[in-house]
Amino acid sequence: MSDRVEAVKKLFTSKSSRIETNKGDTYYQELFVRCEARLNELRANTPANRLDFSDLLEENGIDRREFMKWASATTAMLMLPPMFTPLVADAAVMMNRAPVIWLELQDCAGNSEALLRADGPKIDEIVLDIISLEYHETLQAASGHQAEKQLEEAMEHFKGQYLLFVEGAIPMGMDGQYGTIGASGETFHDHLVRCAANAAAVVAVGSCATFGGIPAASPNPTGAVGVMDVIKNKPLINIPACPANPANMVGVILHYLLTGQVPELDSLLRPKFAFGYRIHDNCERRAHFDAGEYVEEWGDTGAQNNFCLYKMGCKGPMTFNNCSIVRYNEAVNWPIGVGRGCIGCSEPDFWDKYAYERPMANAKIKAPTGGVEKTVDEFGLGMLTAAGIGIAIHAAASAVAGKREKSGESHE
Amino acid sequence: MMTRKWIERIEGEASIGFEFEENKVSFSSITFPHFRGMEAILQSKPAMDALVITPRVCGICGHSHLFAAVRAIESVYANSGFPLEISPKAQILRELTLSLELIQNHFKWLYMVIYPELSHLLQRPIADSCRLKGAYAASLATKILAIFAGQWPHSSYMIPGGVTCDPTYVDTVRAMGILDELMRWFEKEVTGISMEEYLSISSAKDLSHVSGDMRDIDKMLRTAKMHKQGFSYDRYMVLGNHGFSNPAKYMHRRMAKVNPQLVMLEDPYTVNEKTYAKNALYQNNAFETGPLARAVTNGVPFIKYLHRYFRDSTYTRTMARSYETALLLNHCKMLLNSIKIDEPSFIEPLKKITSLSGEGVGIVEAPRGPLIHKVTLNKGIIDHYTLITPTQWNLACGSPQTPGPAQKAMIGADSIETATFTFRSFDVCSVCTTH
Repeated sequence: MSDRVEAVKKLFTSKSSRIETNKGDTYYQELFVRCEARLNELRANTPANRLDFSDLLEENGIDRREFMKWASATTAMLMLPPMFTPLVADAAVMMNRAPVIWLELQDCAGNSEALLRADGPKIDEIVLDIISLEYHETLQAASGHQAEKQLEEAMEHFKGQYLLFVEGAIPMGMDGQYGTIGASGETFHDHLVRCAANAAAVVAVGSCATFGGIPAASPNPTGAVGVMDVIKNKPLINIPACPANPANMVGVILHYLLTGQVPELDSLLRPKFAFGYRIHDNCERRAHFDAGEYVEEWGDTGAQNNFCLYKMGCKGPMTFNNCSIVRYNEAVNWPIGVGRGCIGCSEPDFWDKYAYERPMANAKIKAPTGGVEKTVDEFGLGMLTAAGIGIAIHAAASAVAGKREKSGESHE
Repeated sequence: MMTRKWIERIEGEASIGFEFEENKVSFSSITFPHFRGMEAILQSKPAMDALVITPRVCGICGHSHLFAAVRAIESVYANSGFPLEISPKAQILRELTLSLELIQNHFKWLYMVIYPELSHLLQRPIADSCRLKGAYAASLATKILAIFAGQWPHSSYMIPGGVTCDPTYVDTVRAMGILDELMRWFEKEVTGISMEEYLSISSAKDLSHVSGDMRDIDKMLRTAKMHKQGFSYDRYMVLGNHGFSNPAKYMHRRMAKVNPQLVMLEDPYTVNEKTYAKNALYQNNAFETGPLARAVTNGVPFIKYLHRYFRDSTYTRTMARSYETALLLNHCKMLLNSIKIDEPSFIEPLKKITSLSGEGVGIVEAPRGPLIHKVTLNKGIIDHYTLITPTQWNLACGSPQTPGPAQKAMIGADSIETATFTFRSFDVCSVCTTH
């Protein structure tokens, strides 16, 4: 018992699982001045589209007070002190000044569906609506040659300023012939390289674009890889998960608008504001984990009482993402809320290793490496292995405890 | 003369090449130049992994894939002598969330594709916020879906034997509240008349009472002469069995029973073009699938009326999909009211999935028609997995002698724009077509 307590304690207090949420007054004051200057600069630019933010808010019956509530929640999500709230609100209003080009490669269009406000709290959705989406294959009005022309023009006009959002993996097999685009038959690979050349930064959205995703699942029939395997010379931000949460897409764009920089990233290039904690850290069922109360079979008393899903294969303890806080579909719910464990969809290789009903201890999970330098951050191999072991100890101990309880009952 | 036209604003992308004779489309080829290899990926993975991988075939109908995968595994259980018992509650929840997926799909299609494309075609501008309207309605539908399924897209809450969620009374009341909001919105914005009145339409006279966006769309469709073009085979196929659908085929103006065993795949017809989509046929015949097929085989009075006058024109097809949204909203209300929360969500199978071998087929009606998953298991490991999606029927690329339903519907169009509109009336999804 004491072993278990120690192992768990060590796991959750280790230095590598900490995030620096307070960087000191001087840092924030400097940042504040920088952000203000940048917003003033943006204000001078003409907006790139006609949609007006305040009109849209009004149309959707959202008052100023509700909007400021959202702004302060978003400020907190971006791990900035409250004094940044008015700046975040200003940045949201000026979303139509951030040129975004969105590419769809080898995917299921699920992230575009998310962008289409399949989920995300209402104001996030409105913010997404007014983003100056200069080019989006699925959502734009133009098609055919007209669309190709539009892309060329957008890339030329916003040279060095636009954010390139990429959804979908890049098939490298058969010389890239598993995915081609436009009348010219340009491969996804060449298309991506060409569009990334003049981007300010590249944002890979969803697990396909970040780590190759489902298309890269064994045996990887098309040789699918993620954006970071192709684009090496650009600031790159990964927003994994399947689908990626719109709140995190908005967060990245807002951060860029506000500071002109990419947010702080972890070793897999994920913004720490969203991927700095594990699902497990803020899980609503965490108390049951701590108490050793598990769902042992689908539909059992544990399931009816919302016990911890670890033994049903939940990968929450080793999955870095903020779904337990942000949730999905206007924050209505999330997978664990309906009694289905986390599948670890924001971690590399989830499609082969994490998958459905295999508890972590049996899943032969290797910690993510992903071809990125491990020195960028401390979490990585050691951390996740420790998590795996610590939790296996905990679960085993609870199984023993469970047996004891059962035998106790039979005596009565 | 061959003219190529690139089509966007669909899931993934497609390309259509047109041939013209006397200024009318005489033939077209439909190609999908991308591929992921989903069937190969599923091979040699544990059966339960299909519940995580198959929904990710498609970002807009992933829930249908989940349902088909679950039905396929359950059918392996049944075929090996261990049929699973599914509680009425679990069955209702599955059908409810499936219906909601159809609803969100239809809203997006109507407001993000059909309405703007029509206005483009007729050079009659509509408000920019039209697209947002569709997104708003769709997000209400997915919100209800998420109450039971956890998230949309890409939920995996159905499992062989039932569902993982155990909704409380609070959950069903909350779902009902959102559904009511959506239905009120539908009455106000889409039809301008009450749901009851809209659902009892059976003639042109009744239709004249409709105001709202549907009136505008109806008028524009007729102005664009969509009731006089876009005719296909007038043959329909429904394979999924649900409260809102009736498995049957309709051919030579008659209904008949169907046998899913007779569904077959053929290679597409292309000349010097690359495509990764296979054609789906029934006994060598092309059939149209989707809302029009479901309405005709189900005898929906209003659509039967339109069908009698305008056969399978682009107008009838478009109206059928819009009208199905109302039918499904009503169906959802009935389902929500019939949930008995004290029933079990899941009934444990008598046999462990790791000892399960054999074949199984799962069929559901997805937004665009029947979705078929065929699986062969060997001790719980997937030996073989076949996916046949609805768009493989509708958007099949056949030869000039045997064109697919969409190809046939585009013949005779006087411009690439009108032909493309007819193409979109089938509700294009390319990621499912190639998978």
